[in-house]
Amino acid sequence: MSQPTQDAGPPLFRAVASSTRPLYQLLKAVGFTNKIHVEITPEGLRFSADHARVMQGAAHWNKNLFASYTTNLPPAAGNGDDDDPEPEPVSFQISLPAFLETLQIFGVADVAARQARSDIDPLVRGNPRMNHQHRGGNGSDAFSHQTLHGGGFASSSSNGTCILSYPSDGGPFSIILEEAGVKTTCNLTTYLPEMPEDIPFDIDDLSFKVIMQARYLLDALAEVGSINPERLTIVVSRKEPYLRFRTSGSHSGAGGPGVESTVDFRRGRDLLETFSVRAVERAKGERRWSQTFKFDTIKAATEAMRIASKVSLRGDGQGVLSMQFMVEVEGAGGAGGGVPGGGAGLSFLDFRFVPYATDGDEETDTEGEGDDVDMSEA
Amino acid sequence: MVILNFTLSEEGVSVFHDALACMYKFSDDVCLEARRDKLTLTTLNISKSAYVCFTFAANRFFSRYHFEGNAQYRDRFFCQLYIRSLLSIFRSRQGGDSARDKDASIERCDVAIDDGPGKKSRLIARISCRNGITASHSLPFESKPPTHAKFEKDEAGNRWSISSSTLRQLMDHFGPGIELLDINTDDDDHVVNFTCFTDKVQKRGPHGNEAVLKKPLHTNISVEMAEFNEVEVQDKLHIIISVKDFRAILQHAQIISGELATYYSEPGRPMKLSYSADGILCEFILMTVGEQDAITQKHKNTRARASKTPKPGSGPGPGPASKPDGSVANNEAKDVPKPAQKPPQQKTPPQPRQTQFEIRPPPIPPRSPVAARTDRSDSPLFVEQGDEDRQWDPVDREDEEEMDNARVEWNATGEPVLLRHFPLVARKKMANIHSRTRRPCELAVYWQDRLCPVMSQTDLLGDSSQPSSFLRHVSCCLLCLFFC
Repeated sequence: MSQPTQDAGPPLFRAVASSTRPLYQLLKAVGFTNKIHVEITPEGLRFSADHARVMQGAAHWNKNLFASYTTNLPPAAGNGDDDDPEPEPVSFQISLPAFLETLQIFGVADVAARQARSDIDPLVRGNPRMNHQHRGGNGSDAFSHQTLHGGGFASSSSNGTCILSYPSDGGPFSIILEEAGVKTTCNLTTYLPEMPEDIPFDIDDLSFKVIMQARYLLDALAEVGSINPERLTIVVSRKEPYLRFRTSGSHSGAGGPGVESTVDFRRGRDLLETFSVRAVERAKGERRWSQTFKFDTIKAATEAMRIASKVSLRGDGQGVLSMQFMVEVEGAGGAGGGVPGGGAGLSFLDFRFVPYATDGDEETDTEGEGDDVDMSEA
Repeated sequence: MVILNFTLSEEGVSVFHDALACMYKFSDDVCLEARRDKLTLTTLNISKSAYVCFTFAANRFFSRYHFEGNAQYRDRFFCQLYIRSLLSIFRSRQGGDSARDKDASIERCDVAIDDGPGKKSRLIARISCRNGITASHSLPFESKPPTHAKFEKDEAGNRWSISSSTLRQLMDHFGPGIELLDINTDDDDHVVNFTCFTDKVQKRGPHGNEAVLKKPLHTNISVEMAEFNEVEVQDKLHIIISVKDFRAILQHAQIISGELATYYSEPGRPMKLSYSADGILCEFILMTVGEQDAITQKHKNTRARASKTPKPGSGPGPGPASKPDGSVANNEAKDVPKPAQKPPQQKTPPQPRQTQFEIRPPPIPPRSPVAARTDRSDSPLFVEQGDEDRQWDPVDREDEEEMDNARVEWNATGEPVLLRHFPLVARKKMANIHSRTRRPCELAVYWQDRLCPVMSQTDLLGDSSQPSSFLRHVSCCLLCLFFC
């Protein structure tokens, strides 16, 4: 019953997950656009979202989030062989709201309820095994590797399956969800890939790098966001206050014009696990990096801050801000100890933001000088 | 220079927040008034029918409090702020799980008010969290003296007090969609009745000219007097207040959890509710609706014309020297600056003070020609209302003296009839809005089992005569406006 219909050959991509929760959470974190760009690689799925070319977000579904993960990518560099490092990635666009809706069709929140139910529902537990048998028929390389997952998987408390597949280029992206004997098949129309170039972020010209718990970033933004601001200024400096977020109220906001909010880490220096600044602002003779962003775009990353454990904030010489979130997800859908080396997997979410153009006199200058100061904590 | 400087503890922030949240149910902005020994937050709702005042004792509520007057604000400072922005500043921060994270809850909150020549007038709140993050918010404020409502306690012969949590529980029995609460006592049964109802009407009939009560439902909750700490109320005195206000008060009172005391005299006169806790005193002054039953009864008995005034504010008494009358006023009274006859079942307080109040006051009194005729410009109420633009001017010392004494007294010195008619116009507008937005005729049957020691009883009423008489009255008052 879980066998997808196959017309011609193996699908380009097929993956089975026992829980959609981590998938949903990761995808939701970049849920600020209508269409999302999907790229299938042998290592996982990459989702990129773009908002008006000033904000980009990317989420990764690492293949160890799945109980099984198979690709048969075009033969540009090998024939669907996972061991081959260079297959041509397949990419397309799909509707993100529809995708999210699909993934939570059985609800992602009531995990506890489902677990309770799984104890009395052998049928649900049985399904994953069947999937594995089916996949065995495909004879993919990954199979033998993944069987271990399957074993641990079926005997654990998992209870639903989610099968993702992309049969052929241009075809629909199909999601089959099964739970408690209920099977839902969703086919999402795919669109031609239309991913603009990445926002350039010069990793060799970093002005600063801050690593801290994502929660603090969330708290800080909630603090300055309470006045419904239009712009957010981020200031990083070597001296106090180290890291500062500043907003001023917009006319439509709660406080109206004239309201200003500032959050700084003057006393909270120890909250910043890594803190290094390399920026020099000549005009004021102090080393700092100061850029202004549209608050709403930064706010769009709120969901990521919520689920992530750590965040790395980096700014480059041009003022582009990169936020990288580290998310701890239950590896391989709660397969637990069955996954060799998997365990609680780490997944990363990437965001990039383009700042407002600064006035001439405020232009930051990062050329040359500015030796790297690393003040990271021991 | 810093005029006012105080520090709140984490607990203080949440008390402050609760107070502001309560005020936000009445109005959008709040007046802050600081003196050396206390900080007062006041607000008056937009219809000027409810006044809220929270007083925080400087030495008990704050961990630090320092007021330093300057030339402009010698012994008190006042300003007006948006409640919404204050609410977001003084909200509580989550502590977070202590195992992994550092505590993000508030360690202290320093508030400073900076003002003076050549300085930006700002209220700056600096919140220091336990984990070291510091947030500072700076808000502009408007220099505007507070308006205080006046309440004469001597006049308020009726009073009762009850534990606020008990009263809060009663509120659960208030049905949905009700507007008014009638509090009355029955000495025979030793109960205090809380009757809630609404007299909203909806239009029916082919021409929409037939008005029907929207919710012909009265819910009566009888509370034994033993539940009260003190009851000293004239028997069968009906006092009507707005449920919305009452709810807002009770929700906050329950948090403070003190004894809630009320004082009032008679319909159409203000009612005061107060409760206090350590370092904080909460006072509310609500205007009561002219008592309906008494009016309708009286109309039938006395004047035919009077029946056209189903729901006027009661006390018409125009002259400040005249005695307040009970409830009824009619058109004939307008030329006679004497009180109308007092209702037989109501006690006349001894005070000569005369006020007029409507729960729904004139929508736009200053612009109305009628208002002009009532010659209210020099009336002691709504002092700041006279010149809207003036509030943007620099504060003038002379004016200030005047304004310092600004008090809303709900005291109509003009012609009572005209004043009385305003709310009816407003009320008609309300009715129209409701008939547009609400679903047609929903009959909510609200039944509550007897709960000890509270008895609930629900009356279903048929179409009462009120709506039609109400309509007649509206036309009458419109005519009146036209005439003017």
